[in-house]
Amino acid sequence: MSSVDMRVRIGELELRNPVMTASGTFGSGREYADFFDLGRLGAVVTKGVSLEPWTGNPSPRIVETPSGMLNSIGLQNPGVEAFCAGDLAWLAQQDVPVIVNVVGHRADEYAAVAERLDGESAVDALEVNISCPNVDAGGMAFGTTCPAAAEVVRSVRAVTDKTLIVKLSPNVTDVTEIARAVEAEGADAVSLINTLLGMVIDTRTFRPVLPRGVGGLSGPAVRPVAVRMVWQVAQAIDVPVIGMGGITCPNDAAEFMLAGASAVAVGTANFIDPTTTVGVADGLERFCATRGIERVTDLVGAAWKNQ
Amino acid sequence: MCTEVHAPAIEPVVVVSNERVAEGVSRIVLDAPRTAGAVEPGQFVHLRVSRHADFILRRPFSVHRARDGRIEILYQVVGLGTRALEDAVPDDVMDVIGPLGHGWHVPEGAHRALVVAGGLGAAPMGMLVERLAERGIDVTLAQGAPSAGRLLARELFDSLCSRAIVATDDGSAGLCGFVTVLSAEQLERDRPDMVYVCGPEPMQRIVAGQCASAGVPCQVSLERLMGCGIGACLSCVVITHDGLKRACVDGPVFDAADVVWDTGADPEGGR
Repeated sequence: MSSVDMRVRIGELELRNPVMTASGTFGSGREYADFFDLGRLGAVVTKGVSLEPWTGNPSPRIVETPSGMLNSIGLQNPGVEAFCAGDLAWLAQQDVPVIVNVVGHRADEYAAVAERLDGESAVDALEVNISCPNVDAGGMAFGTTCPAAAEVVRSVRAVTDKTLIVKLSPNVTDVTEIARAVEAEGADAVSLINTLLGMVIDTRTFRPVLPRGVGGLSGPAVRPVAVRMVWQVAQAIDVPVIGMGGITCPNDAAEFMLAGASAVAVGTANFIDPTTTVGVADGLERFCATRGIERVTDLVGAAWKNQ
Repeated sequence: MCTEVHAPAIEPVVVVSNERVAEGVSRIVLDAPRTAGAVEPGQFVHLRVSRHADFILRRPFSVHRARDGRIEILYQVVGLGTRALEDAVPDDVMDVIGPLGHGWHVPEGAHRALVVAGGLGAAPMGMLVERLAERGIDVTLAQGAPSAGRLLARELFDSLCSRAIVATDDGSAGLCGFVTVLSAEQLERDRPDMVYVCGPEPMQRIVAGQCASAGVPCQVSLERLMGCGIGACLSCVVITHDGLKRACVDGPVFDAADVVWDTGADPEGGR
């Protein structure tokens, strides 16, 4: 067997391998347990959880685009109490670290969700989502200016000692400024990229396909943008970066790690093949083994560190 | 209803045949032993048509029939995915996730069923009519299409249904008009124990209303744009009186009385 050390560390969290799921593409993992043992993943990152139930956006909620898709789900979720009683209780029985994605319309809502989850031993880390493009208030509005991003992270940091990951939006002029701002407020890691703001117009109806007009672009189409942003952010901050955006195979994951990601997440590809995550984890180990790389962490930032 | 539930799985499938069966509609037959043995009437498969195209998502298709380790899918070319599907030839390899979803419910003690199919809505009715016939249930089929050349699965339906009546928009076969005229007449005349409906959503809504007025239970198979197909992504939501449901796992078959049909009033955005 391979002797590659696949363990990575994100804040207080030690993961058995660097491959996790991207929030919103994996439910809470239950739907995927029919296809593989979740214990083979580095971590499960849940869909976004808010203080109260959110109903999400009108249909249609997705539209396919070249090598990708736009989504406008709108963070539909049953609220933190129902989440804890349902999905989290189930996840607690699985042998996999749990990272809960936290959303809110206001900074105090993020803090209230974080405070509630702070008391749950099944929650290993929080991912603060300041980058969802599909809600009118909150979401991406917090992730596109440094003061707003800092305010949310400060309010969440104040109520929990759990490992705090902040998910960044690519829809900014300079992503490194936002990354520095959240690091300064005590973020233990950042994850990027969330989806890119996009639009598809139906040339038969002359109207946008999605009822809100805009949606978030994901899938292989965004990968070069994501790799570039991980490259920039990893060199700008000291805390770990979790890289994502169009990963479909082990090579894609390696690309993100070479750009500076300490861990990676698989998103849209879960819809194409529900076993993509485990395929990426196994393949990444082979990627290292065949190159004589002993620790997967040796890949991190190697594209710029060795220049 | 069959109580054994088969967990979905990814199965590589091989194209056996792929041919036109009606104007604008083709049938692809796939060698898929696991899925064929597990699928229940009204369930669907999530088909990965191509690995090498610039469209990435799977396409959901009702299973029209399943026998001898093979599944049959009826499809209409409407976009990139079905255009690629049309180009498939025997021995091409694809893969499906299946069987998926919650299919048709056939209640104990049912004697008489009315099946209403509009256009490609005939697709999920093949396995249903076979199941109803197996159970000795008297089936009336009311089928609608734009024209005679677009009526699907006529032989199967004629062989298994007590009555198979048709309506076409242009009058080239049966009644000139909508199938909802036939369904109203049959509800009145036959007093079925259960009505099964699939077709364009406005037609399903009208038949559901007719059934509600007649006091007859009605099931509808709804179509939505799907992402994952397994309940995770929340793309395919259906508004019901019991909140938002997922067409892929809570449906595609719903009790028509549970569906909130007036979708002009969608929930407000992002709340």
